[in-house]
Amino acid sequence: MSVPDYMQCAEDHQTLLVVVQPVGIVSEENFFRIYKRICSVSQISVRDSQRVLYIRYRHHYPPENNEWGDFQTHRKVVGLITITDCFSAKDWPQTFEKFHVQKEIYGSTLYDSRLFVFGLQGEIVEQPRTDVAFYPNYEDCQTVEKRIEDFIESLFIVLESKRLDRATDKSGDKIPLLCVPFEKKDFVGLDTDSRHYKKRCQGRMRKHVGDLCLQAGMLQDSLVHYHMSVELLRSVNDFLWLGAALEGLCSASVIYHYPGGTGGKSGARRFQGSTLPAEAANRHRPGAQEVLIDPGALTTNGINPDTSTEIGRAKNCLSPEDIIDKYKEAISYYSKYKNAGVIELEACIKAVRVLAIQKRSMEASEFLQNAVYINLRQLSEEEKIQRYSVLSELYELIGFHRKSAFFKRVAAMQCVAPSIAEPGWRACYKLLLETLPGYSLSLDPKDFSRGAHRGWAAVQMRLLHELVYASRRMGNPALSVRHLSFLLQTMLDFLSDQEKKDVTQSLENYTSKCPGTMEPIALRDGLTLPPVPFTKLPIVRHVKLLNLPASLRPHKMKSLLGQNVSTKSPFIYSPIIAHNRGEERNKKIDFQWVQGDVCEVQLMVYNPMPFELRVENMGLLTSGVEFESLPAALSLPAESGLYPVTLVGVPQTTGTITVNGKESPFMVPAQQGLLHPCMASATLGEPISALDLPVFQFLQSYYCVGFCKAPSDTPFCATVEQAGLVPSRFLCGFPLSLVGVAVARCLCRFDTKSHLHIWAWTEVEMEPRTAVAAGSGYNILITVIVIIIEKLYGDFLSWKLEETLAQFPLQPGKVATFTINIKVKLDFSCQENLLQDLSDDGISVSGFPLSSPFRQVVRPRVEGKPVNPPESNKAGDYSHVKTLEAILNFKYSGGPGHTEGYYRNLSLGLHIEVEPSVFFTRVSTLPATSTRQCHLLLDVFNSTEHELTISTRSSEALILHAGECQRMAIQVDKFNFESFPESPGEKGQFANPKQLEEERREARGLEIHSKLGICWRIPSLKRSGEASVEGLLNQLVLEHLQLAPLQWDVLVDGQLCDCESAAACQVGDPVRLEVRLTNRSPRSVGPFALTVVPFQDHQNGVHNYDLHDTISFVGSSTFYLDAVQPSGQSACLGALLFLYTGDFFLHIRFHEDSTSKELPPSWFCLPSVHVRALEAQA
Amino acid sequence: MAVCIAVIAKENYPLYIRSTPTENELKFHYMVHTSLDVVDEKISAMGKALVDQRELYLGLLYPTEDYKVYGYVTNSKVKFVMVVDSSNTALRDNEIRSMFRKLHNSYTDVMCNPFYNPGDRIQSSGSVSLSRAFDNMVTSMMIQVC
Repeated sequence: MSVPDYMQCAEDHQTLLVVVQPVGIVSEENFFRIYKRICSVSQISVRDSQRVLYIRYRHHYPPENNEWGDFQTHRKVVGLITITDCFSAKDWPQTFEKFHVQKEIYGSTLYDSRLFVFGLQGEIVEQPRTDVAFYPNYEDCQTVEKRIEDFIESLFIVLESKRLDRATDKSGDKIPLLCVPFEKKDFVGLDTDSRHYKKRCQGRMRKHVGDLCLQAGMLQDSLVHYHMSVELLRSVNDFLWLGAALEGLCSASVIYHYPGGTGGKSGARRFQGSTLPAEAANRHRPGAQEVLIDPGALTTNGINPDTSTEIGRAKNCLSPEDIIDKYKEAISYYSKYKNAGVIELEACIKAVRVLAIQKRSMEASEFLQNAVYINLRQLSEEEKIQRYSVLSELYELIGFHRKSAFFKRVAAMQCVAPSIAEPGWRACYKLLLETLPGYSLSLDPKDFSRGAHRGWAAVQMRLLHELVYASRRMGNPALSVRHLSFLLQTMLDFLSDQEKKDVTQSLENYTSKCPGTMEPIALRDGLTLPPVPFTKLPIVRHVKLLNLPASLRPHKMKSLLGQNVSTKSPFIYSPIIAHNRGEERNKKIDFQWVQGDVCEVQLMVYNPMPFELRVENMGLLTSGVEFESLPAALSLPAESGLYPVTLVGVPQTTGTITVNGKESPFMVPAQQGLLHPCMASATLGEPISALDLPVFQFLQSYYCVGFCKAPSDTPFCATVEQAGLVPSRFLCGFPLSLVGVAVARCLCRFDTKSHLHIWAWTEVEMEPRTAVAAGSGYNILITVIVIIIEKLYGDFLSWKLEETLAQFPLQPGKVATFTINIKVKLDFSCQENLLQDLSDDGISVSGFPLSSPFRQVVRPRVEGKPVNPPESNKAGDYSHVKTLEAILNFKYSGGPGHTEGYYRNLSLGLHIEVEPSVFFTRVSTLPATSTRQCHLLLDVFNSTEHELTISTRSSEALILHAGECQRMAIQVDKFNFESFPESPGEKGQFANPKQLEEERREARGLEIHSKLGICWRIPSLKRSGEASVEGLLNQLVLEHLQLAPLQWDVLVDGQLCDCESAAACQVGDPVRLEVRLTNRSPRSVGPFALTVVPFQDHQNGVHNYDLHDTISFVGSSTFYLDAVQPSGQSACLGALLFLYTGDFFLHIRFHEDSTSKELPPSWFCLPSVHVRALEAQA
Repeated sequence: MAVCIAVIAKENYPLYIRSTPTENELKFHYMVHTSLDVVDEKISAMGKALVDQRELYLGLLYPTEDYKVYGYVTNSKVKFVMVVDSSNTALRDNEIRSMFRKLHNSYTDVMCNPFYNPGDRIQSSGSVSLSRAFDNMVTSMMIQVC
């Protein structure tokens, strides 16, 4: 007895064992077809009686187990059915012989046997034989069941006779000693006459009869016999048989208590067979009646005839609790015998099944624990697997799922134990799959997506590894890929770095053979493996929806209703801000995306894995709006830091959009085709599921492209690389590089081909280049606002908006041009250097009226001062580049967005770099001989690297070499600034006197500039421009350039005497001298007293004032002028009489006391009068 | 004295598990995991008992060849499982019981830590000082030789 039947249950004690076996060559299919039909006849109500026979069929039964048949009769093979193929009569004897050989194997215990012959036809078939049945083929054998029933009835007859035979054994007769195989030698030479021996024989026989009764369907009788047997055997300490008797008692009781059966499926089938309810079945248990049928047998055995009564029944039958106690006892007896291991094991299993029904798991687990330790002989691998599987099943039965899973896993491992020649990976895999629920592991990654992982990670990981390995070994790489992906996805947090590396390494290996798919994999037993998307990789730390770039943002036009006024509060202002609920506010994004426009979401991702991660087809998952997601691909280095990723998409309709997450299939390097698009909202640290964005329908879509296309042949623009025609999404200011006062033109083109292009280029003596663009879009309306950041000597930009606006609304496909003229006026001064020089040259700017002699005196000093060194030293400084910036703001609207009241604001930065051409390093004035004129002295420095000519309106062109500085003198008429009309509007606008003064200055500068007309020209570059002196004219210089508000005119003999030429007069004739004052100042001046002082200039620095005898005054030499009202005129007259010929000068001097101190001395600059007295003509 | 000590959450996943022969950690994982069957069974059996009268100590869960597995369940259904070498006969039920009580107190301290999220793993190398205290206590229970 070495092969345990793990499927045994208590009810099996009442069954008859029939072995069904094929003889000769019978195809398995045919055999099992017949076997199945035979098995269907598992219980039979024996004719006439109400007893039921239960049959247990086996197609394989080890003969050594049969030897234990006396110990427990249900182990005895009582029937043999052989199935054979036989196609010719010739083979028949041989076949029949085989049948007999087969019979011999179980011969000692067989009650009866049958041979089913298939295929044989002919005379042999005609012979009616009881033990042989002939069928022409496997289909045509309707009578098989009938035959079996007959066979079982014949078995019953033998059984019944045996039972009666044993039961009626007279107590006086010598009862043979029944024994189990290993006992036989123990009893050799034992005293057979001893009381002890007799009792033992009696007890064992009682037990045997009990078994037979149970098999024959006489439950009550069997109980009685078992009880008696227990008593007898207990007294002789025959433990093995005592155990068997107890077990028999238990079995009978179990059958009584649990008519549904304890053995799982087979029990259920049996229950279906006996449709009677439990109580009714019990009542009809026919044991008692049978006993009554044969009363003699009972009485002779001294059995209480009252066994039939209910009381007796209750007494004999064990209570459920007792059953377990008795099982325990029986097992403890069995355990005394090493050879009864199988019996003990089976008893344990039976007890566990009973306990499972009783729902006493704890005790059941104890039985099972015991069963685990029962050491049978060396088990074959197959038996081990069977044993572990059964243990697993039993644990499952008592609700110990974890223990069950444990044993199932052990069984699975046993399938592929190294000692097995052909490892059953398939079976192993199947068993492993069955353990999943026990480890609370589901292969659906969705179950893991919620919350943190809750489970036995270490154990689960091990199981997954085993699944991967098993599936690989069984030749299904797709499965291993799936399991491995699952492992990586769900157990990521628990994997160490090395493990992560290993897992991905193997995943890479596997996928190289079999690419991962997104299809669920269906296994044969109905289990499907859902796809495993990698939602945890890469880890997303931060999600931010990006607003559109400023130029593309829609703005709401100011509607009639005040939109900004919150409707929540009745107060215009309240310090208490009506807070929305925090969450709502956070989730809602307060900006808008535009239909048809590219929108961005920025993610900060990082790769925690110790390997490079490639992510492909990463896109946005959205809802609410038709959204075209443009997938992105990226590669993250191993253990990267935060890495920004921008996902883009285009909303196709308008509405509120909800961004649910990212979809991120990821690929391990060098792994092709493992694509897992998926949802990943759960992976985001904070749910962005409710990031709602209103998307407004807007203009089709407008890009703005700002770039500069500078003429490449302009050296000064060499720094500006041609930006190319690549549209940049971001607004860049377009840099222009201008030399000197260059005029550039910036063209802004609007075309409606779904994008707004703004083209800009400088136009320095170049033809405009116009890109041709056409297309369709919406009408565009536009307004232009220009903000100039740096204001530098007036507006450098000018444009004619009307011309452009006339082109709007812009029809689809049309192009509008907006031309901006850029004119840069440079400050040609050298700032501080200049001032410094001027202050040194104090005389030239002093208000003192300078005459030619003075100038000559002063001049050497000025020229003695080195002019060149500072310029040459600081030549580098002059080449500095000026930068001008402006922002052009275009507000435009059109299409559906216009009707909804949105516009876009396009800001275009204009960045102009201005390189200077010439510098005026020093400026000074020298009075000319005429009071109405003066000399403007300019030190011109050429800061370019080219030869430059500079010319003014009046003078010759001056050639300056690169870096050269020269002085040029320009004779200019003095300016009468006061005469400028001042517009009343200006006055009102600039109330500030300072500003007013500024304005004036500028106006003066402009005037001077236009008068001077200084132009520079670089012949080599064919470039020219104007140079302005405005900036460098300071107040002092201006004053000199300005006509004094008091205009003094001296008339000699009625002729205006202002020029260099001398007025001629005759000696002896009185000469009329008139001094006329015109007051142009806004105040009244005077009165003044003037004295005329004549003198002679000897041209050697000596002035002779002693001229009393050469000149006499007619009247007084002192004139008196009345006060002159503004814009009034006054004159005083006097006369001179020259007595001698000669050149005389008249110096008209003011009396000091009469001079108004507050008036600037330059106002009293009277021309000196040169009179030449000639001989009177005859 | 204890070979393996585990704290298991109400939902039957491990909050803390540590074993001394670290090389065969998985074995203890399996052992503790399967012992939960018995724990569940025992809890369901005594489910009817009054809460305050309930014995927290579950006693021997099951013996294996080399080890004995003991269990303890708190009123909030957090389980403590201790695996003890079966050769160590000096350990009586009372000693085991007191060890569990110590473990329970220490666990309560961890729970009282405002920085501990109930349901999180009690990290062995946690920066939180209380979980370190718990760890030290477990270590002391494992090293203590009787």
